Amino acid sequence: MGKELRELFIYKDLLKQLVVRDIKVRYRNSVLGFFWSLGNPLLQVATITVVVKYVLRLDIPNYSAYLLVAYLPWTYFQMALMDSAHVILLHRDLLRKVYFPRAVLPLSVVLSNLIHFALAMVVFFAYLLFYYFFLNGAPIMASALMLPVLVLMQTLLITGFAFFICTLNVFYEDTKYLLAVLLNVLFYLTPVMYPAELVYSRLPEAHRDLLYKLYMLLPMNTLVDAYRKTLLPPFDSATSSATTTGILHGGIRGIDVHSLPMDYGMLAVAAVVCGLVALAGYRYFIARSWIFAERA
Amino acid sequence: MTMETAIRLDKIVKDFEIVKGGPSSFKSTLLGFRHIRPETLRALDGISLEIGKGETVAVIGRNGSGKSTLLRIVGRVYKPTSGFVEVNGRMSTMLDLAAGFHPELTGRENIFFNGAIMGLSVSQMDRSLDRIIEFSELSEFIDAPIRTYSAGMLMRLGFAIAVETDPEILLIDEVLAVGDAEFQEKCYDRIGKFKSDGRTIVFVTHDMEAAKMVAGRTIWIDHGTVRADSNTESAVAEYMATVPKHELSP
Repeated sequence: MGKELRELFIYKDLLKQLVVRDIKVRYRNSVLGFFWSLGNPLLQVATITVVVKYVLRLDIPNYSAYLLVAYLPWTYFQMALMDSAHVILLHRDLLRKVYFPRAVLPLSVVLSNLIHFALAMVVFFAYLLFYYFFLNGAPIMASALMLPVLVLMQTLLITGFAFFICTLNVFYEDTKYLLAVLLNVLFYLTPVMYPAELVYSRLPEAHRDLLYKLYMLLPMNTLVDAYRKTLLPPFDSATSSATTTGILHGGIRGIDVHSLPMDYGMLAVAAVVCGLVALAGYRYFIARSWIFAERA
Repeated sequence: MTMETAIRLDKIVKDFEIVKGGPSSFKSTLLGFRHIRPETLRALDGISLEIGKGETVAVIGRNGSGKSTLLRIVGRVYKPTSGFVEVNGRMSTMLDLAAGFHPELTGRENIFFNGAIMGLSVSQMDRSLDRIIEFSELSEFIDAPIRTYSAGMLMRLGFAIAVETDPEILLIDEVLAVGDAEFQEKCYDRIGKFKSDGRTIVFVTHDMEAAKMVAGRTIWIDHGTVRADSNTESAVAEYMATVPKHELSP
C-alpha cells in the first residue's frame, strides 16, 4: 500500500487539475455559480424551519442556525458520496487508454466537495458574525477551533466511503440508486433536524447511556453533534442563564430536553472509526481498481 | 548480448470475461438471476519476450489478434491474468487518438492535463510546451477547445505530447494512420531520431512499409501468441504470406 501512496504523490498535479476542472464546471467561472449551489441547502433549511415553526408549531429559538450548522456538513457528506458513485464510469474512456493511479478519481470528487463545503462554512461564519455585531447574537466560541479537526475526520470518513461506493458502482450499476435511498433514510436518522439530545431522552431509561453510545458510534451522528456543539452555544442556554437573550440563544420550549456537554471521548472514538473506514476503503479500492479498465 | 532490458514479458496470459446482458446490479444478484458462469476469452496466450533499450519494434497481426491488448499490458492499463511484466524507464503511451483529452478544454489546457496523466508536473510541462506546439503545427488552434479539432489534428497533438515529453519508452497503438502522408513522414522521422537517442519504441501498425522503414525488429502476434519475432523484413514476409490476396491494399 505504501508503494501506491507514493505513486499517488507523484500524480498530485493530476489530482489538482481534476479538482480545478470540477470546480470550474460547477461554478461556471462565476460568483453567481457559487451562490446557486449554496442555494439548495439554504432553501432546504428555510423550508424545514417554516415547517417546524409554523406547521408543527415547535417554539425553538434560532432553529435555523442549529439546523444549518448540521445541514451544511450533511450536504458535504451526501453530495460527495453521490458524486463518487459515477466518477469511475464518467472517466471510463480515460481508464481504458492510459495508466494513472485510479485513486485520483474518487479523491478529486471528495476534494472538490470539500472546497465547496469550506466556502459554505465561510458564509456560515459570516452569518454568525453578522448576528453577533448587529443583532446581539452570541460571539463565536473558542471551541470553534475544533472545526479543522472535525472537517478532517469527516473528510477521512467520506473518502473511505467514496472508495467503496465508486468501486461497487462499477460492478453493480444500481449502487447509485441504492445509495440515494440509503442517504435519504440516513438523513432522518442523523441528528440534523433535531438535536442528538432528543434521541437520548427517548431511549429506554434502563440502558440509556449504553444505547446512546452505540448510536454515537455511527461517525456521522457524533460529527453532526460535534459541529453543533462546538460552533453554537447549547440550545437551552437561554433558559439556564436569563441574562443573555441573544438571537443565537434559546431552548426548546415545549419539549423537555436539556443539552448535554460535548463528549470528547466519543469524538476520539469517532476519529478512530473515520480513520479505519478510510483505510478499509482504500484497500478495497486498490485491490479492485486494476479491473476498472475492463469493466467500466 | 549485453543490451539492457527495457521491457520484459514472461508467460503473459490475459483472459477477458465476457459479461453477457450488460452490467450486473444488486437487484439481479439478490434475485438470483446471475448464476450463469461468464465465458472467458483468452486474448493473450503465454507471451514471453524481451525488448532491449534502444530497440524500435513493430507489432503486426490481424484485427483481434491481441496486439492492442499486449500494448495495454505493457502500458499498465490491463493487469495480466498470469505472468510477469517488467518495464524499466519512464513510459509515454499513445494507445488511442483522444486518450487523456478533454473535449471542452483548449489544446493548451489539454497539454497540461495530458502531462498530469503521465505524472508530470506543470513546471515539467512548461519546459516542453513550446516544442509540443511547434511539432504539432497547431499554434493557430492551440487555444481553441479540442472538440473543434479533426482526427488528424488530435493525432498531431497526441503524438507531439507523447514524444516531446522525453519518455524513455514510447508505446503507440496504430494511431499514426489518421495523419496525412506528410505528417506521417514527420512522425516516422521523429521516431528515427528517437531511436538514435537510444530510446525504446514499440508500435502497433498495419502499415508494412512503415514497419520496414523504422523498425529493426517486428513481432507478429496471431491468436494471442507470437507467430514470428525477427528482423522486420522476414517477419513481414511471413505475415503477408498468410493474408489473402484480395485483402491486400494497393
